[in-house]
Amino acid sequence: MRRRTLFKWLLGAAGAVMGSVVVVPAVISAFSPAGRSQSRAWRPLGPLRSFPLGDVVDAAVPPRREAYPVEVAAAQVVYVWQRTRSDFVVFSRTCTDLGCAVKYDPGSEFYYCPCHGGIFNKSGERVAGPPKKPLYRYATRVREGVLEIDLRSVPAMA
Amino acid sequence: MAAVVRWMIDRFGMREVRDHVLHRRVPKDPWYQGDGEAMLLLFAIQLLTGIVLAFSYTPSVVEAYNSIRHITFEQKLGWFVRGLHYWSGGLWVFILFWHLMRQIATGGYKKPREGTWLIGVLLLFLVVVMSFLGYLLRWDERAIYALRVALSIFHQVPWIGEQLVLIIQGGPELSSLTLTRLYAVHVVLGPILLAVLIAYHVYLVVLHGTLASAEMKEPLETVAEQKEVYERQARHPYRGERFFPDTVVRLSPIPLATLAVVIALTLAFGPAKLFPQGVGTDATFPKEEWWFAWYSALAALLPPSVAGYFHWLFPVVLFVALAALPFVDRWTDNRGARNRPIAVTVVCLVVLAVLYLTALRLRSPWTAWPRKTPPAVPVGVMLTERTERGRVLFATYGCNSCHAVAGDGPEFAPDMARLRQRYSLEGIRRYVMDPPAGVAMPSYRERMPEEELTLVAEFCHVAQTFPRGR
Repeated sequence: MRRRTLFKWLLGAAGAVMGSVVVVPAVISAFSPAGRSQSRAWRPLGPLRSFPLGDVVDAAVPPRREAYPVEVAAAQVVYVWQRTRSDFVVFSRTCTDLGCAVKYDPGSEFYYCPCHGGIFNKSGERVAGPPKKPLYRYATRVREGVLEIDLRSVPAMA
Repeated sequence: MAAVVRWMIDRFGMREVRDHVLHRRVPKDPWYQGDGEAMLLLFAIQLLTGIVLAFSYTPSVVEAYNSIRHITFEQKLGWFVRGLHYWSGGLWVFILFWHLMRQIATGGYKKPREGTWLIGVLLLFLVVVMSFLGYLLRWDERAIYALRVALSIFHQVPWIGEQLVLIIQGGPELSSLTLTRLYAVHVVLGPILLAVLIAYHVYLVVLHGTLASAEMKEPLETVAEQKEVYERQARHPYRGERFFPDTVVRLSPIPLATLAVVIALTLAFGPAKLFPQGVGTDATFPKEEWWFAWYSALAALLPPSVAGYFHWLFPVVLFVALAALPFVDRWTDNRGARNRPIAVTVVCLVVLAVLYLTALRLRSPWTAWPRKTPPAVPVGVMLTERTERGRVLFATYGCNSCHAVAGDGPEFAPDMARLRQRYSLEGIRRYVMDPPAGVAMPSYRERMPEEELTLVAEFCHVAQTFPRGR
């Protein structure tokens, strides 16, 4: 091997080492939110009596503001439908097409998306428009007379 | 004075720039090649106004919106700076589109300019992303829903979609980490990439030149041929000229007009309207900025079978197609729009499609939305007491969320005054109770008392005779 070739290789190797010492940790750190934890995030929606039987009402989960990062409320307005005494259906407002917030119309008992014409019925099934999936439905549970939903039971942006 | 200038040219190493860039001879370019200069000007405006905005903007979910309000309503000339930033951003996307169409129509990417083109394709995507991130930072209602549209698109990506959402959102919930990430990309990473890529693009433009009129005369098969034809025109006493100031002046109409338009739009409309702060607790009517309207219309036209993967596949396919274009388009070595009928046809169709989709988005005939007010009674029509009650019930039962009456209301479902066939009273009753399969209408069976059903049916029956309106 010629001297100059050897030097080129050594310089390249040194550059690669120096670069990766910085680049690899930087990338790992920047991408660290990936790899969602399997833990659940139960949040109270309100006492059971605040949800009338048979009707769809909206409910807000106050965002967590005490710890960092501060949450934005956007993800946490939901529609609650007490279908039977023991069966709660809680939908995310996020349209399953492109994520605009659907609005429930008690007159027609449909959910309307304001963006691209998605319409869902009271059970969250698609009626019209581009959406393919039904509305995102939260896992629910009742603790001490309070209805709770698991924020992690729907996709992260919902 | 002249001695000082000479000293500076020598000591700051500007001789090469003067001789090989400013004073180089180039073929006389037609005026419409000034769109490139216009975009350089817009970049400069973006940098300057962006820096000033960054002085006052706070990338915190609690304060971002208020800082924008402060800039707009309290900071001296803040509204003007924000307006320039907003309008020059939108116009940049607009001019970039024309720049792209022009290069495709004329074959501006043909050898030896493939590198210039590829850097340009990267810039296209970068500018579109920056123009999107810019309006997220407003952190009003529309910003939040625009962000969620973007996240929903990333969520569609197979296998890694969920991870992409977490990375961009900065965690499983929309939080303060989300905004700081968007801010860092828009204010730090984006401008650095833009500056580097634009500089590289301009460097390649200087090195390889732009498509000269002499190159359009006949097919140029080799790079050597192209270089000879180009150089010959550049050296020609009146078909070529000195780049500075001759070419710069010749190409100045578009940049000057662009600047005038940006200032005029800012003075006429001010900066982008601020919607209520983005907390997401209200139902809202989100809308994209005007340069994305065509895409929104396209999204609405997609059937469910396609909509599930279109939105991530489209940009990927577009990128690959554009990047591959110079290497695929090798049937002929013809340059110039007149010699490229297929390319010109494609460009015309794309432009027409974008215009059509934009106009369609303004109408948004696919949108149904709950409305509290009953449909207006057309002028000159008198309703009986019963049909008047039917009209009110028409709104109570959300019929007017989808149906217009004589032009008043959404276009989603048929206008009651414009039904394709005339229905009998009994026919309407049956339809409301049991809509045919496949019709996006709820069944009102067991939901509507008999008497109310009759009233609504009577109103609809009469509405068929209304003047059609609109």
